[in-house]
Amino acid sequence: MTAMRFGASTFIWVSPFSNATLDLIDKVADFGFDLIEICVEDPATIDTAAISGRLRKAGIGATVCGAFGPDRDLSADDPATRENGLRYLARCVDIAADLGSPIVAGPMYSATGKTRLLSAPEREAQWRLSIDSMKRASDHASKKGVKLAVEPLNRFETDLLNTVAQAMDWLGRLGRDNVGLLLDTFHMNIEERNIPDAIRLGGDKVFHFHGCSNDRGTPGKDHIPWREIAAALRFIRYAGATVIEAFTPEIREIARAVSIWRPLAESQDALARDGLKFLKATLGN
Amino acid sequence: MKYSYDSLVYHGEPVAKSFERVARYGYDAIEPVGEPANYNVAEVRTLSARHKIKISSLCSIYFGPERDLVAAEPENRAKAKKYVRDLVDFAAAVDCPMVIIRPAPFGKTSPTSDETSEWSWAIEGIRESADYGATKGVKFCIEAWNRYETYFVNTLDQALKLCAAVDRPNVGVMGDTFHMAIEEKDMAAAFRRAGKRLFHVHFADSNRAAPGAGHTDFEPLIRALKDIGYTGYISFELLPAAADVFGTLQRGGGKEFFDDYTKLAIETCKAVEARIGA
Repeated sequence: MTAMRFGASTFIWVSPFSNATLDLIDKVADFGFDLIEICVEDPATIDTAAISGRLRKAGIGATVCGAFGPDRDLSADDPATRENGLRYLARCVDIAADLGSPIVAGPMYSATGKTRLLSAPEREAQWRLSIDSMKRASDHASKKGVKLAVEPLNRFETDLLNTVAQAMDWLGRLGRDNVGLLLDTFHMNIEERNIPDAIRLGGDKVFHFHGCSNDRGTPGKDHIPWREIAAALRFIRYAGATVIEAFTPEIREIARAVSIWRPLAESQDALARDGLKFLKATLGN
Repeated sequence: MKYSYDSLVYHGEPVAKSFERVARYGYDAIEPVGEPANYNVAEVRTLSARHKIKISSLCSIYFGPERDLVAAEPENRAKAKKYVRDLVDFAAAVDCPMVIIRPAPFGKTSPTSDETSEWSWAIEGIRESADYGATKGVKFCIEAWNRYETYFVNTLDQALKLCAAVDRPNVGVMGDTFHMAIEEKDMAAAFRRAGKRLFHVHFADSNRAAPGAGHTDFEPLIRALKDIGYTGYISFELLPAAADVFGTLQRGGGKEFFDDYTKLAIETCKAVEARIGA
């Protein structure tokens, strides 16, 4: 079994990521991370040639994470919105292929913040739309050799997939080998009855992992059951990376989008540095 | 420990049935919803006496601009204060010692004025309410909510800071373990820091189901309450897993929150008490 690799999300410091913030790559490498997770808010700001050059120089890899607002809703009733979402997701896949990221991760099945009460038939219709869209996304990703990791979100952020059990049903209906899960301990803390059990349920469908504290502050300064999580990840022979995802409270738009109203660590640098140290000691093998 | 059940989740059922249920499962008290118009004071008093179920606290409903103590519009702030005074009158009428108070209502996730104004309106609104409450023997507890429900006071420390600024003996803070499981780095430590200012608690598991149905460890929490000499109630506020909890209940969801969770919640906590030899 290869040693666990660790990454840091660009959301810890910036939004959106662009050539103006390429220095983050060096910072993340200096901190000792193995990879940087590039969050693609606007594909137009992502210069893969420039990023690749910096990654090579810094000697780290990349993963790619998408952001899915209402105009990129793969489960939208409106076909034009679904098409726009699919075009965006295809761009993310191309970016991932260019950067050597094995995955594109994120809550790509719906729009983040869409929390509606639906009847069973309405819910079924939404599932069908998202599954049909994801089949097309999967076809494109497969041509590029990229996997898609869908992320269940907590109840306040989505009404479609909140738990691993729901996501496994959804993946079963989708039936594509190159589509699996991104599990994030912040969301799992709210939704899963037992986090390690949920990881074991995900099994070989766990493609990507976000190691986050319950308040999205520094991993380790929290009540997440890390030791049991480490055992569960070993049990499923998890071979992907663990990425710290947190959000800077200093950029108002992103802070509002993820409902962060106060600083959650002494600094974002401290969050990343202390978080990495903790995760290496706890999940590293 | 004394136990209460928040009847918020018994949405739409006759109040007599709620009293009967909590009595059947061994509770000491019930927490009615802070909508005085929905209750008949004489009926509540009769049921309370018949079932030997006290009224622990009022689960106030801060929803919409007219129940916003930090609203930009003075008339809405006045309406919000009037709402809290009505709660005090209702509480006093049913021998309820505690009313939950919240600056900024549910679902307001960005300020409508500058921070300094909102902070001073919060102090003013709570102080006036407290002074009115004091004339009727009613206390207040400031509740912290999670980040998705409010931007204003997410942690117990923030609630304590506001409480200190309000500076009234009948004002304390409360913690709800569902919100705390998202916002606090160490829930038991947060209870300990609150100490004697901790006037009330809501217990729910990590997923807002009954304790025992999620992954929160209640042992250190109950131990912390014992250690700080907590004399209030443990009141269970349990709600379905949806952003729109009341819509879910109105559609007939959340049936397990009636009998099943009423039973499980108190059983789980009493088992913890037995284990730690309380």
